[in-house]
Amino acid sequence: MILVRAPLRIPFVGDGTDLLGFSTKYTGQVLSATINKFIYLLIKPTDLVDRYIVKYQTIENVTDPRFIKHDRIREALLHLEITNGGIEIASFADIPAKTGLGSSGSFTVALMKGLHGYRGQPMSKHEAAEAACALEIDILKEPIGKQDQYAAAYGGFNIFRFNLDASVDQESVLLGWEKRALLEQHLLLFYTGVTRDASSVLHEQTAHIDDHTATYKNMAAAVPDFHDALIRGDVGVMARLAHQEWEWKKTLASNVTNEKIDTLYTTGITAGAWGGKLLGAGSGGCILFFAPPDRQAEIREQVSQEAFRQNLLDFQEITFHFTQSGTDILYNDSSNRL
Amino acid sequence: MKEFIRGFTDDVVRTIYTVSQTEIAKAINIIQSVYERDGRIYIFGNGGSLALATHWVSDFNKTVFSHNLEKHRRRFQAIRLPSTESEFSAWANDMGYDMVFAGPLQNYLQETDCVIAISSSGNSPNIMKAVELARAHYVPVIGLSGFDGGTLNTLADAKILVPTEKGNYGVVEGIHDIILHLITKYFQDYFDHCVKQDTV
Repeated sequence: MILVRAPLRIPFVGDGTDLLGFSTKYTGQVLSATINKFIYLLIKPTDLVDRYIVKYQTIENVTDPRFIKHDRIREALLHLEITNGGIEIASFADIPAKTGLGSSGSFTVALMKGLHGYRGQPMSKHEAAEAACALEIDILKEPIGKQDQYAAAYGGFNIFRFNLDASVDQESVLLGWEKRALLEQHLLLFYTGVTRDASSVLHEQTAHIDDHTATYKNMAAAVPDFHDALIRGDVGVMARLAHQEWEWKKTLASNVTNEKIDTLYTTGITAGAWGGKLLGAGSGGCILFFAPPDRQAEIREQVSQEAFRQNLLDFQEITFHFTQSGTDILYNDSSNRL
Repeated sequence: MKEFIRGFTDDVVRTIYTVSQTEIAKAINIIQSVYERDGRIYIFGNGGSLALATHWVSDFNKTVFSHNLEKHRRRFQAIRLPSTESEFSAWANDMGYDMVFAGPLQNYLQETDCVIAISSSGNSPNIMKAVELARAHYVPVIGLSGFDGGTLNTLADAKILVPTEKGNYGVVEGIHDIILHLITKYFQDYFDHCVKQDTV
């Protein structure tokens, strides 16, 4: 049995420049960090019954992996040729899917690392990220980039560069605990209560990438500035850069934002936030605010009231810490002594 | 006499500034991630380096949390290899001296762990056997080396090299000890902060 865990992530700047429509023509880059909200997968053989059992929001129990409805799991099993004898895969998550925290990418990295571990093949962070990208982009034809898979595989604060040849370079942002704690003290994360499917939002955005090349270039160019602000601990500059990114991002497609999200965001800024952005592809998900600690109670109050007025029943604050660990096999009883 | 003392001191001070702060930061990040996934840290070396490993383990497992021992239920799990003299001599006698670290390491090693290998030359065969075992399973390696860094500095994920002329063990081992204390102090300050913020 294997237990594998992958963190979710917060992208700060450069979000979207990993999309292949841009990154195959110009170098994209994203600065992101992982948080202590995780996707867990439990993978075990079913020794007595030759079945394929998949447990997530629903339970599937089929005789052949080709009949599995969960597309990532089905394609991963077929791709890795885990088609003899049964297997049981169950997933658990700290946060629901489609909240803009990169859960699909995290899930896929956990799945690929876990299934390789199940076959007795340890994987490097880079290999796990690439295996997940291959499954989502090459096999499932998702209109996404590579930032989520890399963020989940590596863990921590990183800059990822998306090269023209589709390779990805990783650079750790070596942030000490004091700067990390300072940033955490200045962040508020709210789940809007609106879920969105990244692929559906991204279809319009990816179709119009060539019309917005300059904007994508600006977004990628903000990465070194955010990095420097992070190292200096200058939260004001980080807030401004995130806000700028959000302003840019809204111009990329008509469905990136909507009235509800705009009102929630403006409410937070009016209540004292220095800046912020919507996380994920758009249309829903989470809003991240950068705000001084002495304004946070007011922001929390005002934004919550606005969400209530908008009848966003699932709206809630997500408290979190940053993590350094990426996707890890926490338990492996088939080779728990390596 | 004072001239000798001044010369040695100058050598130490000059050398310590040439150690890569980036690589030390990478080592700290590796240890942070191991803590988050509740893994273990295995540390080993030969001779004086083994003494450094022993010293560090006692500091790291207790001193890091000593201000608030009762509040930190999860602490570090740093283990010096081999953990007993009997194991040391058993592996050396039965399997050869090259296996004194890799042998015990294989008994323990899991994917959530990391290793800290200390070798002034960076080429000790018994150290490199253990490093190769860790690397084969993508277990991160923090390498503390000296002189020109040897193979250890090439293969380690965090390449903490104290560059000196060959054979300057005193300066290399002394600075290794300072760096290990630096790592201890970093986490001591961090966990003190966590207690103050009540985020343990």
